[in-house]
Amino acid sequence: MRIAVLLSAGRHPVSGAAVLPRLEAQAIRIAAGLGTPVGLHAGPDAAAVADALGQGLSRIAHVALPEGADPVPVLAASLRAMAPDLVLAGRRGQGGDESGIVPYALAAALGLPLIADVVAVAPGEAAGTLRLDQSLGRGALRRVVVRGPVVATVHPDAPAPLAYAFGQARRGVIEPVAAIVPAGPAAAPAAVEERPYRRRPKLVKGAPTGGSAAERLKAATGEAGAAASGRLLVDPDPDEAAREILAYLRGIGVLAPPSPRPNP
Amino acid sequence: MTRPRRDPRAERAAIQVAAGPRPRFDRSARAAGGRPRRDPRPERAGQRVPGASRPRYDLSQVVPAQALRGEVAVAAEARQPAAAKILVVEDPAFLVAVVPDAAGGRLSPHDRQVLGAARVLAGREGGILVVSVGPCEACGPAGADRHLALGEVGTDPDERAARVAAALAVASPRHVLFPESLDGGDLARRVAVRMGVPLFDNAEVVAAGGLVRPARGRRVEQRAAPGLLASVAPDAVADYAGPPREARPLAHDLPPAAEPASTILSVARIPADPATVPLSLAEFVASAGNGIRDLDTFRQLVAALHATPGASRVLCDAGLMPRHTQVGASGTVLAATCYFALGISGAPQHLQGVAGCEHVVAVNTDLHAAMIERAGLAIVQDAQAVMPALLRLLAREKQEAGEGS
Ligand SMILES: Cc1cc2nc3c(=O)[nH]c(=O)nc-3n(C[C@H](O)[C@H](O)[C@H](O)COP(=O)(O)OP(=O)(O)OC[C@H]3O[C@@H](n4cnc5c(N)ncnc54)[C@H](O)[C@@H]3O)c2cc1C
Ligand SMILES: Nc1ncnc2c1ncn2[C@@H]1O[C@H](COP(=O)(O)O)[C@@H](O)[C@H]1O
Repeated sequence: MRIAVLLSAGRHPVSGAAVLPRLEAQAIRIAAGLGTPVGLHAGPDAAAVADALGQGLSRIAHVALPEGADPVPVLAASLRAMAPDLVLAGRRGQGGDESGIVPYALAAALGLPLIADVVAVAPGEAAGTLRLDQSLGRGALRRVVVRGPVVATVHPDAPAPLAYAFGQARRGVIEPVAAIVPAGPAAAPAAVEERPYRRRPKLVKGAPTGGSAAERLKAATGEAGAAASGRLLVDPDPDEAAREILAYLRGIGVLAPPSPRPNP
Repeated sequence: MTRPRRDPRAERAAIQVAAGPRPRFDRSARAAGGRPRRDPRPERAGQRVPGASRPRYDLSQVVPAQALRGEVAVAAEARQPAAAKILVVEDPAFLVAVVPDAAGGRLSPHDRQVLGAARVLAGREGGILVVSVGPCEACGPAGADRHLALGEVGTDPDERAARVAAALAVASPRHVLFPESLDGGDLARRVAVRMGVPLFDNAEVVAAGGLVRPARGRRVEQRAAPGLLASVAPDAVADYAGPPREARPLAHDLPPAAEPASTILSVARIPADPATVPLSLAEFVASAGNGIRDLDTFRQLVAALHATPGASRVLCDAGLMPRHTQVGASGTVLAATCYFALGISGAPQHLQGVAGCEHVVAVNTDLHAAMIERAGLAIVQDAQAVMPALLRLLAREKQEAGEGS
């Protein structure tokens, strides 16, 4: 199976140093379990993604692209030439705009279906099909079976990346690839104004908007809401206590009601 | 000028209350001569503004005591909170569309926040249009003026995006907001690529003057005037808090989209297995502390409740529970909906791990344990006795359900 992993030049969220985004390292791990993946990067400098060689890739194709140019047409042209069965990307970039739109634009340009937020990929039962597990959060999954080539983005709940191997990183090669289509003009700077990030207070669930400071504090520490109106049973009969607990758990919906339709 | 001479005896006799063995006098009812006697307590109560969570008083008006006793009719009804009237925007100047996740036909808390954000952009003149794929309940109280329910689509997310894009092209709203959730963010990007319009994703501030999103690892924030498409980060904007709106259903006659056959062969939902899901992702955690001696029963109970097992540090240090089950500051910080604590005292280091849980159920023998104070349902009882009782009850329910079929 031919697999392409899209590699972007990431920045470390704290230090700002050039680093391979974790999601893409996780994508390499998923890909390595299926075949021999090839990395693909479009950007001014291939050194930015050289780390990926130590994470399990043996070959990276690098399309030189001026800084700030739109990578989508170039990536689409290279992928069309490679014709992979599976294209893996991160769900968001890291250190740039982090908008996560590149895989969607690529899938549209290539005319391929896109499956978002996958945590595992396996070959399907029928030939030419793939089984992808999409994360729904909280460990729940949606299992999708797709025919033919597909673009998938990787979710952070995917297995942790492989350990970095120095020997592999030295043996791996980065091949420059000529851009098949000329890079489009640098994307017109959108009318965004940038400032240093300012942290804003998160909304506190259930906090009264017009209440007093004491009420808001109570809501923030979790003493309001369910806890404030808490029920206290002192020395109940254990069976009585058990009934109360089950009723409460069912009331908040974490426990299924006694099944009216038992399993056959 | 001479005042009429008062006869205190006769006056007292006039106000004597009939019933009772002891003589009683109703001095407040003495309307005959002079000013009526004031009763400050009910007067104060009458000035209280209804509704507010802490007492607020409207001192500008004095409700006479007689009125408070119901002797004189005053316009007291006007002071009652009027039954919430449905707000109607007959002819909105422009529309702000919201595409909620509405899984299962119900708005999620995140969807409600997006509706709140849409109201900020719509202001007084604009109207909010909810475009839902499939049905969506209770949009009106959440702030929707119009509601466009598109027919259910198959499993292909591209089909869904095509439907939504077609509906948006017809409704031509000024702004469209999506929740930046797993499915909502996915749909937003598909619609953006399909319409060829940039998406301002993950907005953390929504105001008519501009949207703000974090970028470059939260080192900078980008501000732009609201464009056509935007998605709103969770827990960033407050819900709509105004009176309910009408959510007038709109008819649509969109042609069924002629999409190429989907390559998605099958879609199946696999619920999380509570026994193996990582503690930080678990929805419902049942946890044992130093008060539990019978861990076998505890494990049976965890399995019967379909919960994820947790433990306090004491049990993990003693090697009775695996280290990865430890809840707390030096263990796992939970994001569970419900936490069931058996025999845990609730040390601050432990409670830190539970701070994010919405519901807590505690069983402890100590009435003064911190866990009991934190719990929504607190049971002061021996956990060793409650656990078997729970198991018995669950087994009986299962049996009854089996017989019922
Ligand atoms: C730096 C540091 C970090 C720490 N980090 C963590 C952490 O991450 N997680 C953590 O859990 N702890 C942590 N601790 C330890 C913490 O301070 C407490 O010691 C620990 O949480 C207490 O565990 P417990 O509630 O199970 O035990 P105890 O404090 O012994 O409480 C047992 C409770 O069970 C009740 N009980 C007894 N018998 C019964 C019965 N038959 N039925 C019902 N109830 C009964 C008792 O009334 C009591 O309330 C940390 C401590 C330090 C110093
Ligand atoms: N210049 C690029 N070259 C290769 N892949 C890229 C490039 N930019 C983005 N990607 C991929 O697209 C994903 C999302 O990026 P973004 O849309 O920038 O958030 C990244 O995780 C990469 O996998």
